[in-house]
Amino acid sequence: MSFFSAQGISAGYGGNNIIKDISFTVEAGCLTGILGANGSGKTTLLKAVCGILPHSGACTLDGKKLEALSPRELARHCGYIPQRSGISIDISALDVVLMGFNPRLGLLEHPNSAMQSAARAALGQVGLAGMENTNYLHLSEGQKQLCILARTLAAGSSLLLLDEPESALDFQFRHRTLETLRGWLSEGERCGIVTLHDPTLALNFCDELLLLSGGVLTGCIRPGEDPLDKMKAMLETIYGNLSLLRCRSRSGQARLLMLKE
Amino acid sequence: MASPTAKAKYFCAAGEVLLAVLAAVSLLVGKYPLSLEKLIAGDALQRRVFWTLRCSRTIVGVAGGFALGTAGFVFQTVFRNPLASPDIIGISSGASAGAAAGILFLSGAAAVTASAFAGALLAVILALALSGLDKSGRNSTIVLAGIAVHSLAQTALMCLKLTADPERQLASIEYWIMGSLSGISIHSIGGNLLLCAVCLAVLFALHRQAILLSAEEGEARMLGVNVGRLRLVVLLIATLVVSGVVSLTGLISFVGLLAPHGARLLTKDNRMGTMLLSGLLGGCLLCGADILARSVAAAELPVSIFTSLLGAPFLIFLLFRERRGL
Repeated sequence: MSFFSAQGISAGYGGNNIIKDISFTVEAGCLTGILGANGSGKTTLLKAVCGILPHSGACTLDGKKLEALSPRELARHCGYIPQRSGISIDISALDVVLMGFNPRLGLLEHPNSAMQSAARAALGQVGLAGMENTNYLHLSEGQKQLCILARTLAAGSSLLLLDEPESALDFQFRHRTLETLRGWLSEGERCGIVTLHDPTLALNFCDELLLLSGGVLTGCIRPGEDPLDKMKAMLETIYGNLSLLRCRSRSGQARLLMLKE
Repeated sequence: MASPTAKAKYFCAAGEVLLAVLAAVSLLVGKYPLSLEKLIAGDALQRRVFWTLRCSRTIVGVAGGFALGTAGFVFQTVFRNPLASPDIIGISSGASAGAAAGILFLSGAAAVTASAFAGALLAVILALALSGLDKSGRNSTIVLAGIAVHSLAQTALMCLKLTADPERQLASIEYWIMGSLSGISIHSIGGNLLLCAVCLAVLFALHRQAILLSAEEGEARMLGVNVGRLRLVVLLIATLVVSGVVSLTGLISFVGLLAPHGARLLTKDNRMGTMLLSGLLGGCLLCGADILARSVAAAELPVSIFTSLLGAPFLIFLLFRERRGL
């Protein structure tokens, strides 16, 4: 039995299903990427999995049915990073991270000192050390994204859903974010699902890629195992003519490189 | 640089001192000036004025302003809108319609207070119930429901005004709507104050939850917040606070809107200290406005004139201070 499985997920807005009958599984320690053109239903799929959108079908995480959990329990198991956080009030970066502990606090409880230091550590982990007291609204979009990532990492959930975490980040931070994520995955029984704009990034950091087109799953790529030709053919269904190359970085690590023809 | 909490503490201490000074002035200033020496010497008339008029007035000024400021902070946070105020979900128009009905059909100040309170609560419960029909539980639904209820209450108020006797009743309705702390007797404020105190304590205890509600709905949900239920509870409690005050004083403009802004511009955050500072500034504003309302002219003036008159320049000053980074 897989660590996470989604069975027959259909969801949408106002009665129209944007994604139809999607099923997939994710193993523990793995990162699954979702690729697709704009409007193909990537965000809808993530929102359905974490229960923000009503949906048919069922998601199971480590033997627990997610749909049956209360909001508090669900939040304890499952962390979600939206494309943009909706925080619009003056609040320090540290307080934003501390919000992540809410599912483990009683209604009237406050974060204890262990949580405070865990939150500081999480900010350091994503490269925002020293910005604890900075107003969240004064951070750049990329830093906001990292701050929300820190919040989700600190909260200690076992399924992480990230909606285009790289969209607002520059080159260096994109890699740092995904490396942080891989590090987090290797630390215990957990898995992640991420939608990405950048296929090259997805090919190099994800264990498995789901291709979404018009709301249905059209294919699945395992960048580590699949032959280059097969991957290329599948990616071309979304991105048109392209070249896919295997190369090595200077330190000798195998990398995939995708170029548009 | 001082830490944010230390800064908030400093501002709160300053706010407390200012509020204490204003309260002392408020006790002594008015149409019948009181002096400390005569009071201590035991002048009977002075003592009577002090106990029956000035005390209740000052208590309502301080506590009412504090309550309005704090509730305003909560409304703005929960609605994620810096312009949100109790009016947004129909409290003020409900209270006005209730007060008008009380003035027309009941007799006595206590009855008007009770009627205004009932009107405010009815309006808000109606607005929240209407918004509950939309299962998506969006903030905008509550605001729209509030606008609908607000217009209904305004219509009811107009009808009541039409039937009112223009000489006495219509004048009292208008006067009530403009708000005043005059004529509040010490015997009639106990219940309202107790209600406000209890509700305020709950609001302070729920401060962390109110901040969570300021995140976007899906996000708050994924932080383990039962958004619909928590928002309903917080809004109802904040409503009780505001209704408790305005049913005594009539409508008081600007305090609930301005005090939280002032507090946030000073502390630049939304922690508990800022919520407390919102209350303190609200108290200063209402108390100060009331002192002016009863001392600048021979006749008693409506307090809302002065809350706006004092509040607007203060807000403008804070905005410019912000812009120039002074």
